[in-house]
Amino acid sequence: MIVEQAPVLIVVICLMSAVATPLIGWVKRELCYPWVILALLASTCCSVLVMNTVIHEGSIHYYLGSWLPPWGIEYVIDHLNAMMLVLITGTALLVAIYSKKSLEAELPDRTVYFYTLYLLQVTGFLGIVITGDVFNLYVFLEIASLAGYALIATGEEGAPLAAFRYLILGTVGACFYLLGVGYLYMVTGSLNLAELAEILPRLYGSKVILVAFAFFMVGLALKMALFPLHLWLPDAYTKAPSVASALIAPLMTKVAVYIMLRVMFTLFKPYFSIDLLPVTKILLYAGVIAICVGAIMALAQRNFKRMLCYIVIAEVGYMVGGVGVANTVAIRGAILHVMNDVVMTLGLFAVAGIIAYKMKSNELTAFDAIFKKMPFTMAAFLVVALSVIGVPPTCGFFSKWYLIQGSIMAGNWIFVGALLFSSLVNVILFFRIIEIGYYDFGASGAGDAHSHDERSVVSEAPLSMLIPTYVVAAAIILIGLYNQSIITTIIDFAVPKL
Amino acid sequence: MKTLSLIVSIIVGAFLMYGTIDMPAWGDPDSPASTHVSPYYITHTEVDTATPNMVTSVLADYRGYDTLGETTVIFTAGMACILLLRRRGGRNKDRG
Amino acid sequence: MDFIIAKYNYWIYITLMMIGFYAMIAKTNLIKKIIGMNIFQTAIILFFVSISYKRGGATLPILTDADAHGGHVIDVAQYLNPLPHVLMLTAIVVSIATLGVALAIAIMMYRKYHTLEEDEILKAIK
Repeated sequence: MIVEQAPVLIVVICLMSAVATPLIGWVKRELCYPWVILALLASTCCSVLVMNTVIHEGSIHYYLGSWLPPWGIEYVIDHLNAMMLVLITGTALLVAIYSKKSLEAELPDRTVYFYTLYLLQVTGFLGIVITGDVFNLYVFLEIASLAGYALIATGEEGAPLAAFRYLILGTVGACFYLLGVGYLYMVTGSLNLAELAEILPRLYGSKVILVAFAFFMVGLALKMALFPLHLWLPDAYTKAPSVASALIAPLMTKVAVYIMLRVMFTLFKPYFSIDLLPVTKILLYAGVIAICVGAIMALAQRNFKRMLCYIVIAEVGYMVGGVGVANTVAIRGAILHVMNDVVMTLGLFAVAGIIAYKMKSNELTAFDAIFKKMPFTMAAFLVVALSVIGVPPTCGFFSKWYLIQGSIMAGNWIFVGALLFSSLVNVILFFRIIEIGYYDFGASGAGDAHSHDERSVVSEAPLSMLIPTYVVAAAIILIGLYNQSIITTIIDFAVPKL
Repeated sequence: MKTLSLIVSIIVGAFLMYGTIDMPAWGDPDSPASTHVSPYYITHTEVDTATPNMVTSVLADYRGYDTLGETTVIFTAGMACILLLRRRGGRNKDRG
Repeated sequence: MDFIIAKYNYWIYITLMMIGFYAMIAKTNLIKKIIGMNIFQTAIILFFVSISYKRGGATLPILTDADAHGGHVIDVAQYLNPLPHVLMLTAIVVSIATLGVALAIAIMMYRKYHTLEEDEILKAIK
């Protein structure tokens, strides 16, 4: 029974727990934290169950209210979104475990509503990923976005303005998507993704379809912060509370990349996106520029979290560029990188949250002699950093390897160059931090023996923050070691047939 | 900034206008939107849902899940307003 | 002429939408931005609703008594397309919710900086 209903339960458990959270918080505030973890644990179990079914029996179709498509709404789960579901629920669970201490420090009086919106945000992401109906996707996109604006606006000084700018651009993005849906509906009469995919090839010459496709892509580029449309991202993610950025930064951009993959390769046939229009060329160059600009801007930052934001922008460039190279190997790399990037960004922002919790600052100067103070945190940080740079056997190496291999096969040397350039910049970025963290600059300047002792005392982060960070670090290594079996069981089925 | 915004708006608008060339005429009863999925709702609403109002039957039954999402959007907005606007004075109470 | 009659209402909604879009990206006053956002979303709603229109005497998508109990075949051309109306009920709610959150954030900023001009807020933050 549960196995049959598992697809809808993934979303509905989160949704209903979100509704119940204010009530539980009203009874006793401390119960919210275990309640959120319990809900996300149940949701994670369901998504693992669904993924297991998909791997063994193929795609699942779930008809909501038993109305057959195209009249009703259906959930379609294939390998690509099964992977996304597990990533989203897993990330949400880890960040929820991690959230307790950080929230107590940053938003002591508003935890109940924060957790409510946290669950709604996760509900939104899950609803976007799981659905097979283009309008239903829009509704859940708005749930995720609205919750995201609110979570970001609760951050430090300047966060409301950053959230407001994000809201304006995010609304433009979502409305462009809705407009694309309207255009498609107008010429096809359907809203079901699979049915649209069947009808559309007859209409590929139509100008309406062209405009619809363009609006989908621009709207999604806004949501994923692709280079010229990335301006909202650094402020929003830097100023958000640590927990909010640890949840939103890994997921929002990747969910947008997922929608882009769906639009390009499921809604439209690959030959429309690749052969009929110069979309992939544009994406390739957009990706290359995003990688270079992201890397250079990251070098210029003095704030750790802000530097991570520019790394996120560069990583979006990897995935978009990989799709732009448009051959099987590169797209395989791009999809593997979606998975890796969720894990790596989560790791980076988790470390940023720990630093903010212990040092009350995210400036790079807060890293002074940090290896002595927080050896365990920094060990996890090293693993994540090596993965972002792309050192084997961490997972970051393998997705980069496929991306480079794919672009060499396609003869796209410019993308190879951009990838290598950004790896080089990442080496500089992280070794700069390691240098600050390893040597004791501040103490020699003060020249005071007493302060030196104080600075060297081990003062580790609480376990509730360390354990999720270590799970992430372990996941990075495990995905790297088992990348071959992940590719053959999941990703090869998710790669579109070109 | 203003000129740039104006140029961007005009380009986007012109592109949208370009799309209208191939659109079905306004109010055409034979357009795909009116002939593909929606006739089913019109002819089956009485049989399937016993509701003469088709908008109601689609809203609350055929596409009821969208409506659940819609109410969730309102709930999200309400929670967001409480989270953002509640005065900090609530701190000395131990509830809420 | 036929071409204009067939398309003019799409052009009206596009014009309306671009007015909203311009206000969203060009204005520095936060309330003006929010008003622009609302115009933009309303234009999209008008577009969807205009998809559902059928010429030739189609009426509200509510079955008449004769059709509901007559048992004869229902003439589809007699009723407007119900689906876009449903979608737009959802989109209206979404736009109101976005408006609410946007205003809440604006109020938050007004409480802190006592202004709604974006450049003045930026100055206050620095």
